Formats: sequence, structure tokens, C-alpha cells
Amino acid sequence: MIANTMSLPTTLGDAPPATGRVPGNKGIWVGICCEFVEFLVLFVVYFVARAHFPDAFHSGAERLSQAAGVVITLLMVSSSFFIACSVTSLRAGRRRESIAWLIAGLVAALGYPVAKYLEIQWNLAHGIDGESGIFFTVYYYLTFTHMVHAFWGILGILWVLTRHSFGIYTADEHSGLEALASYWHATDIIWLVIFPFFYVLA
Amino acid sequence: MESIERKPATSLRPLVLTWLALVGLTLLSPLLGNGLGGQEAVQLIVAAIIWIKGHLVARHFIEAELAHPFIRSVLRFFIAFTPIAIVLTTFFGDRFARFASL
Repeated sequence: MIANTMSLPTTLGDAPPATGRVPGNKGIWVGICCEFVEFLVLFVVYFVARAHFPDAFHSGAERLSQAAGVVITLLMVSSSFFIACSVTSLRAGRRRESIAWLIAGLVAALGYPVAKYLEIQWNLAHGIDGESGIFFTVYYYLTFTHMVHAFWGILGILWVLTRHSFGIYTADEHSGLEALASYWHATDIIWLVIFPFFYVLA
Repeated sequence: MESIERKPATSLRPLVLTWLALVGLTLLSPLLGNGLGGQEAVQLIVAAIIWIKGHLVARHFIEAELAHPFIRSVLRFFIAFTPIAIVLTTFFGDRFARFASL
């Protein structure tokens, strides 16, 4: 009775489906929503600080290594791309290819902490630390928080890769792989916002 | 009655094109920072690039168009938040600073 009352006519054609699928599983999307909320709060902090200290944010971005920001962004989008290819290959029944794409995604993802370490060494050599001003305090806080989230993602990739190599995922059932992919893509989107904050908007 | 259902993609081609677009937009960004156009114009272009990149990842990597409406809404909101905030702080930065003062 309730179901009949709740059912609505569906629209056919190119319009998005009224009840779509959940990429991965519901649990990972609860986590992604929490992750988005956490970073939205940090983004608000960024905009408040930027509105109060526009000169510090203007000059601060010029002191950072823009090359480091570009390299990290390229690593993140490439890693995200490789993992999307892993999901798509498995769907098409190409399991070995899917594992190869996932390994490529892991290698690119591991490049992120390496690039971050080198960037921090470069910063310290140029006298930039957490006490160099409001811009750098916000920069370190936001980028380190993102690094922590990327670290969870890297652990997730290792876990899913292990399960994938044991043949647990198939073309029909691979929600674990898709859940990991969703989390990593969300973390990628967050970095795509952070990158211009500190490396472009001088 | 047979229902019409859009299925997740099995072709790598849209993913490759999306990745190339993301790489191109990333390499374009430093040029913007180095002073293409006026300060306000740069902010608007950067806001547009953030939105385009986020939209590309959501649409082609996450396949948001096939996802549950709640997931689609969450992604749309998160991706639109920063570009809108950049535009607002570019034109109303002083007012926003006064509003956000304790």
C-alpha cells in the first residue's frame, strides 16, 4: 500500500534515472560525504582567512613551488584515471588488464607522498614552515589533511589489489573495487580544488 | 514491459579523453597564475576550470549520471561550492571579511 503510494511515474530518454545505482556500496558513500563535509569546513576557513589577509595570500602563493603542485595534480588525476580503467576493464571481463591498471594506479598514488616529501624539503630549504604566516598555516593544514585522506586511499588500493589478485572480484561482482575507486575519485576532486587555492590563485 | 536502463560503460575511450582534458587543464593553470589577463578575470577562469575538472571526474570516472539522485546532488554541490565561493569573494571580498569577523 505504502509502496503503491510512493511510486512515481518514471521518465524515459536521456534524463538521469530517478533511482540510480550506488557506485561501490552505501558505506563508502557515507564516508565520502563525511570527507566532503570535513573539507568544506576547511575551505570555508581558507576563504575567511583569504578575505581577511588578501595580501598574505597573494604573496604566499608566489613563494611555493608551482611545479610541485602541478606534479601532485598530474599524479592524482593519472592515478584516478588508472583506477577508473581498472573498474571498466573488469566490467568488460578483462581481469588481468584490470589488475595491471590497478597496479599503475597504486604506483601513481605512491608518487604523491614522494612528491609531497620533496616539496616540504624544498619549502624548508626556502624558509617556509608552519609559522611563516597565515597563508602557510592554512596551506600546511589543508594539504596535510588531504595527504592523510590519500594515505587511507593508498591502504585501500593495497587491500583491494590483494583481493583482486586472489580472484575475488568478477565482472558481475566487484563492488569493493568500485567502492575504492569512488573514494579515490572523491579524494582526487578535493585535490583539484586545493591545487588552485595555493599554487595558482596568486 | 521492458525497462530502459543505462548501464555503466565498458569502453576506455571516454576515460582516456577525460584524462587528457584533465592533464591539459592542469598544465594550463600555471600560465593563468603567471598573469594572463586581469586579476578578476584570472579568478573567474580558475573558478571555471575547477568546476570543469570536478565535473569531468564526477561524470566520467564516478559515472555520476547513473548514480542515485542523492549521490548526484552531493557531487554537484561539492563541485559547485568552491567556484561560487571564488566568484563571491572576488567581487564581495571586503563585505565577506566584515561578515566573517568576530
